[in-house]
Amino acid sequence: MSETLILSFIIFLPAVVAFILMLTTTKIEDVRNFAFVTTIITLILVMKIYLNFEPQGEMQFVTNVSWITKYGINYYIGVDGFSLTILMLIAILIPTSYLLLWEGRTKGYWLNMLLIQTGVTGTLLSLDIILFYFFWETMLLPIFLIIGIYGTGNKVFSTIKVTVYTMAGSLLMFVAIVYLGVSFFNEYGHWSFQYDDLTTLSGLGANEKLYLFFAFFIAFMIKIPIFPFHTWITGTYSDAPTGAVFLLSSIMAKLGVYAVVRFMIPIFPDTFVGFSEYFVFIGIFGLIYFGIAALMQNDIKKMFAYSSASHLSLIAAGIFSLNSYGINGSLYLIIAHAIATGGLFLLIGILHYQTGFKTINDLGGIAKKAPIFTFMFAIMLFSNIGLPGTNGFVSELLIIFGIYEFNHAMGYVSAVTVLVAASFMLWMFQRAILQERKGGALPMKDLKLKEIIALTPWVILIFVMGIYPDPFIDKFEPTVTYYINNFLQIGATK
Amino acid sequence: MIEELIYLMPIITVLVGALALMFQSMYERYTIKDNIIVATIFLVIALGFAVFHAGDLFTTKPFNDIFNNAIVFDTFANFFNIALICGTLSIILIGEYYAKEHSYFKGEFYSIILFALFGMMLLAHANELITAYIALEIASFSVYILVGFDTQNGKRVEAVFKYLVLGSFIGAFFLLGTVLIYGATGTTNIAQVAEFISVNPNDKLLLVFIGITMILFTFLFKIATFPFQSWVLDVYRGSPILVTAFMASVFKIAIFSFFLRAILTDFITLNTFWEDALITLTVITLAIGSWLAITQNIVKKMLAGSSIVHTGYMMLGIIALGENIESAYSIMFYLIAYLLSALGAFGLVSHVIADTKVRVTYDDFKGLGQERPYLAALMTIFMFSLAGIPSTIGFIAKFYIFTEAINAGYWYLTVFAIFATAISIYYYFRLIAMMYFYPDAADLNTEKTSDIRVSTFMLGVVALLVVWGGIGSAIGFFFPIPSIDAILSMVELSVQSLFLK
Repeated sequence: MSETLILSFIIFLPAVVAFILMLTTTKIEDVRNFAFVTTIITLILVMKIYLNFEPQGEMQFVTNVSWITKYGINYYIGVDGFSLTILMLIAILIPTSYLLLWEGRTKGYWLNMLLIQTGVTGTLLSLDIILFYFFWETMLLPIFLIIGIYGTGNKVFSTIKVTVYTMAGSLLMFVAIVYLGVSFFNEYGHWSFQYDDLTTLSGLGANEKLYLFFAFFIAFMIKIPIFPFHTWITGTYSDAPTGAVFLLSSIMAKLGVYAVVRFMIPIFPDTFVGFSEYFVFIGIFGLIYFGIAALMQNDIKKMFAYSSASHLSLIAAGIFSLNSYGINGSLYLIIAHAIATGGLFLLIGILHYQTGFKTINDLGGIAKKAPIFTFMFAIMLFSNIGLPGTNGFVSELLIIFGIYEFNHAMGYVSAVTVLVAASFMLWMFQRAILQERKGGALPMKDLKLKEIIALTPWVILIFVMGIYPDPFIDKFEPTVTYYINNFLQIGATK
Repeated sequence: MIEELIYLMPIITVLVGALALMFQSMYERYTIKDNIIVATIFLVIALGFAVFHAGDLFTTKPFNDIFNNAIVFDTFANFFNIALICGTLSIILIGEYYAKEHSYFKGEFYSIILFALFGMMLLAHANELITAYIALEIASFSVYILVGFDTQNGKRVEAVFKYLVLGSFIGAFFLLGTVLIYGATGTTNIAQVAEFISVNPNDKLLLVFIGITMILFTFLFKIATFPFQSWVLDVYRGSPILVTAFMASVFKIAIFSFFLRAILTDFITLNTFWEDALITLTVITLAIGSWLAITQNIVKKMLAGSSIVHTGYMMLGIIALGENIESAYSIMFYLIAYLLSALGAFGLVSHVIADTKVRVTYDDFKGLGQERPYLAALMTIFMFSLAGIPSTIGFIAKFYIFTEAINAGYWYLTVFAIFATAISIYYYFRLIAMMYFYPDAADLNTEKTSDIRVSTFMLGVVALLVVWGGIGSAIGFFFPIPSIDAILSMVELSVQSLFLK
């Protein structure tokens, strides 16, 4: 296989397998096994890319062929330090999550999981903005189906709400994308939607830029979610099935941040710099607001929804801090948070599946019945809080440095409020897992060998990344430097 | 002589087919199936003749001494011929099962539908106002009859009466407009009128402008924009669903064929005083269409309401046409995209109705996902396409329309249209939610019937086309498949042929 085709193969393999499985009448076990093998193949291919990747700022493994020639839309994909890191993350997280979801799923569930994988990798790798939009919208459809079909509680309402909410945001972005394309056409006389072409736009007025910037940003703020566009998360996270929650929180939310870095920084560097102060503030406000909201929750899934939003606000604040510390830290937290939150949601899925409860008051006494479960849960929790020695610590430290360099006062505030996360997490841990349950023990079995094997790489990653972060940062650091030198400096001078 | 005849062949074949079917339907021994076969054969032959010239750039007036400039044969008309024939053919084939299950379908149905097609094709060829009027009325009268075909439906009298009275009334406006234009210019040929408009100062053109406004009323009525939209829901509700599909997709294309020709040849000049009026109408059309679609509980009515919204998108293209001729491509592409998606959606609803006799409301669709996974998957594709979700042809079409509208400077209208799209996601996705998210509504007559028949096959083909239009060319990097660029270049060629001398 030629090098350039590997990326396309990584994107489309899961979808193709899903379609083939859809048309055949295979047994459910075989469907699951095929799906699992598919993700493993994807992982091997991604490994190959990871090893052949040169640590430089530019795009690599680029495929660029024209798709709709009249409007200069290309099938343009490639990978750089940012996307490679997240690509690797997706490739590792998805197969291992399959092991945790192993039993009791139906065929449609696995097919949708495969389709989601195509959607997220496509979104991640596309460099033509229309292609990006294409995958960005498409990845919502399997999520729509999986929540609606396999969810619990008030699922139909939640599903319709999240779909209309996010789609309305992305449709606004769509107008902005088209507007950018038209401006490019008027300036250069030919159509193009490639992100590097769009960065050369110079004819946009200040007001135009402002509108376009917000049209993009609202779409991403909804997806991430950043205050005040977060209202969809509680309902969705608490009603959605485990697999969907896992994908939403640990991968899709990150793609929102990724899209900000990939498209908004290069295209609107000056607006980005101009508004950075407000958005660092909103980020830190979100960190506190969602943290306090998480303290109030009784439903564990809802609590983690808020905790996730709180961390993502911190990530956003880091991205907007405009310096190498902040952006590197945000990228690192993207990985750390994906692992920790993903693990926690999957473990809670198991807990919910076995005991039938997901509210803190109803739970308790898990530690005695399931020590390995508790151990894994604790590690994920500590990483999420940012305990020294875990990857969460490294990333939060970097971000706080970044924010401090950006603005001292905000740096102090962010350093203090990271503690809020520790408080609600540990409180929940104590109540739901450790302390004795009133009214008898719950029927909880400990983790199976398969599940332990699945979680082991995550645990190893948490500690390796926490103790020796250099090899990981080295992969994406050149890209960050490239971004700062090429885009943010320009934006700052304008 | 022979060559000239070949240009005429598609339209003649359809006419002969209509007459043949009329005679055939007199005999009791021919079943519905025979009629479908005969109609299909004629349509396929006509399609063959039309496709024969598909790649060429030409404009010609065969037998001009007889027709006297009244009809013109060019790539533009040929493009619409292909679209119209394909649309009618798919409706006949998709409706095969529905027609067999409903006793009121007689042989005449196919004869009349071919007459309607003949009128529509003639409309696409019309180069002159009286011819256009006659063609429009041939098509309209056939559709009036088709609307009333469902003898078991209590709403049909209302539907026929409403459509007949209003349609004839608005047809009179067309005639009046023609008369006024003739009075001012001494001709009804659109090219000559356009020339008259271009050489004379505005104060001499008052009568012409009033005449054109009258003609525009007819246009707005037939495509159902505000304030002429009120007939849509009742007429669509009262007619057999195949006819509804025919009106919503094929008939609309025919109307657009003539008016696009009129606009592109500068007969109707948009950038004068109609622009503001049309902008207002478009905004209200989008708003009202969305409102109607949201509030419906019957799927067919929802589709009818949403067809008004789609008209609104196309009006956006029409407005942009004043500044930007490329917008014509986007409208024509949108017509094709809407034809496919609407045919699929209406066709599938018809299939489901034919199967269970009850499925008309949203609630009746509950549990279809488990009961009939393939049908539900097809319906999902059509809903996605109508909502303009990427990976379907509907997305590409919306992209074209919005790009050209923004390129012409109407970004605020585009933002408004985007809001309508966001709302449309609600009512389209609600149907998907009904199919998949609820268990079966228990006591339905769920005896397993096989889904392998002509209509489902055709629905599958349409769904494939919808997906191909959305991503086909992207697959083309790995497998050789013609891309949607092919449709686009065909459209461009058609528009160019209008300017050949």
